[in-house]
Amino acid sequence: MDLVRKLRGTNNEGVLALVLLGLIVAMSIANPTFFTLNTGFSILRSSIVPVIFALGVLIVVITGGIDVSFAAIAIFAGYSTVTFCLSAGFDPGLPGIFLIAIAVGAALGLINGVVIARFNLPTLIVTLGTQGIFFGAMYTYVGATYYADLPKSMADLATSNLFDITTDIGRAYLHVLVVPVLVLCLAVGWMLKRTMFGRSLYAIGGDIEAARRAGFQVKRTQISVYMLVGALAAIAGVIHIVLSRSANPRDLVGGELDIIAAVILGGAAIFGGRGSVTGTVLGVLLVQVIKNSLLLVGVPSAWLRTAVGVLLVVGVGIQAIAARRDARRMRVIQDLDTEQKTEQEMAS
Amino acid sequence: MTPTTDKRARASAPNPPPLRNLNDQLGRFTRRLVRPGGAQRGAGRMVAALLLAMALFTFLNPRVFLSPINLQNIAVAAPEIGIIAIAMMLVMLTGGIDLSLVAIANFSAITISTLHTAIAATNPDLANSLGFLIVLAGIVAGMLGGAFNGFLVSVVGITPILATLATMQIYNGIAIVWTGGSTLYGAPTVLGAIGQAALANVPVLFIIFVITAILVAVLVNRTALGRMIQLEGANPVAARYSAIPTRAVLMKTYTVGGMLAGLAGVLFLARNPTASADYGSSYVLLVIVIAVLGGTNPTGGFASVFGVVLATLTLQVVSSGFTAIRLSSYEYAIAQGVILIAVMILDSVMSTRTRRPHKTIPPTGVATPTSDTSLIRT
Repeated sequence: MDLVRKLRGTNNEGVLALVLLGLIVAMSIANPTFFTLNTGFSILRSSIVPVIFALGVLIVVITGGIDVSFAAIAIFAGYSTVTFCLSAGFDPGLPGIFLIAIAVGAALGLINGVVIARFNLPTLIVTLGTQGIFFGAMYTYVGATYYADLPKSMADLATSNLFDITTDIGRAYLHVLVVPVLVLCLAVGWMLKRTMFGRSLYAIGGDIEAARRAGFQVKRTQISVYMLVGALAAIAGVIHIVLSRSANPRDLVGGELDIIAAVILGGAAIFGGRGSVTGTVLGVLLVQVIKNSLLLVGVPSAWLRTAVGVLLVVGVGIQAIAARRDARRMRVIQDLDTEQKTEQEMAS
Repeated sequence: MTPTTDKRARASAPNPPPLRNLNDQLGRFTRRLVRPGGAQRGAGRMVAALLLAMALFTFLNPRVFLSPINLQNIAVAAPEIGIIAIAMMLVMLTGGIDLSLVAIANFSAITISTLHTAIAATNPDLANSLGFLIVLAGIVAGMLGGAFNGFLVSVVGITPILATLATMQIYNGIAIVWTGGSTLYGAPTVLGAIGQAALANVPVLFIIFVITAILVAVLVNRTALGRMIQLEGANPVAARYSAIPTRAVLMKTYTVGGMLAGLAGVLFLARNPTASADYGSSYVLLVIVIAVLGGTNPTGGFASVFGVVLATLTLQVVSSGFTAIRLSSYEYAIAQGVILIAVMILDSVMSTRTRRPHKTIPPTGVATPTSDTSLIRT
């Protein structure tokens, strides 16, 4: 029983992994070309940017907020960095580019954080507003040109692969940027589980007033959270530009809700206090695998949105019904047991 | 209105007991002034904002902005957004949110367009004479979409934002598959006629918008269902203990929301006889902006239809005004965001200012022995 519970995970990660595994097995049986290194690598490659976004969204969702401006921050930070490098005509190298973008992203996140924490406003509405502001500001003040040529360091990164394996059906590439994503996942997971800051996110998400009374610096934490999301989004923005080998200001914005859906699928609770990196990564992978397998089965990719929506309804619906049943069961137990028993439990 | 009365209330607070009665009366008076103001504040504020926006753009470029064509454009473009915003307001009134409204509207438009094209292929005259029924089918499609949302929220118990996020994907996905991602052409000629018609220079579309707004306002303010919707949003627990049938109320709210979205889909077609899955994708967020600007409390319980109508018009005026003074749509996006956040901050600052007297009274009251009664009464 304990083993089952452990495998299931605190946020149903086990169930999600099982679904993912089942899907992969079913797809491999249905279409042998699915179970190849090529497919695996291409799914990983297409998951790079969504996973980073999802990590940022996860952090916000754990605190009980929601951020829809991250895509605008990402493209703002990435695009303005590229524009700056191209117009100034110098290439600060990869660390420099990432540093500039992260600074821009964190600054934009700071705006979100300050408005939300200082005035105690609903996060969805504020980030909706800042999304428009960031996007509009990028077009108005940075530019709207499409850059096909990137600074040299970024262009070089675009073509460097970690593995380059020749199989019998062609060559399979695993992009080198999978490594930083893995590092980011581990770092965020470590932060959430092992640091005071991470625990305070769960505390705030669980009950903001309780967290405040327990002595957490709620406002400061909220501001840091939105800065962190901004920084993560900026990294994702730069990586997106690298992977697509061009800087297009029209990219990314509009896909926010897909990422949020993946994070929720991964077991994070929209009201905060719950969520894990493992679940989030599984959620994103599940969406990407579905996307890939729909194509292979011959279903038009147009069904993807519907599939994700149905998955979301089923996943969250089961959770909602289970939660309701648990609540009812708890009430019954409370009625049956006398108060003495609860007192005994509290004493022991 | 509130700041002056507050000042008086605060000034009289530390006075000796004989004045306490006066203080209490003043407090009660202030609260009575503030309470209806809570719901109407959105409307009042938007009247000011609308007039300000009109005056500003009239001043900056009177020739373009005040031209009849520009005013007509505002009146024709506002209804479709406005009706979706009213639907959003209705759902927000219960403390929920409906992200799928625009998808439902498109779904309705696509239903109408396909039905019309299918019938017109065999018999064009029949299609035109059945125009009314076809339009009705579109609205019913919207209602069904809304009812499914209501089912997920009320019976299954999924959080509204998640349920409608999922159904948005579903409806949108079905629409993409149905249309094959392309734009459909063709709509009943009745709709085209309505889209072009005007009564005394006021476009019929705008009249439909106003009538819809009045009907929803009556529903919210004058019917039992409307009162239950408000109570459900203001305090769900209290609503449950007051024997308000939460499930039925939520179900009806989302269905009406879907129906309004379906109507908006009809207006899409009336303006322009084309339907596609990704029309108005920027509306999703715009509609939330309008609802909140119009004084809707996103946590539920308070909203004003009049405020939402005014907010729709204000944003349309700002949008066309920006075009008149040759600013890009991106600068309009900035303005939209800034307006939204500014209004929210203003609201937050105002509400803490009206709440502060309650916090400052206790310390002054503690000094006097009869403070307990005054604390209870205030």
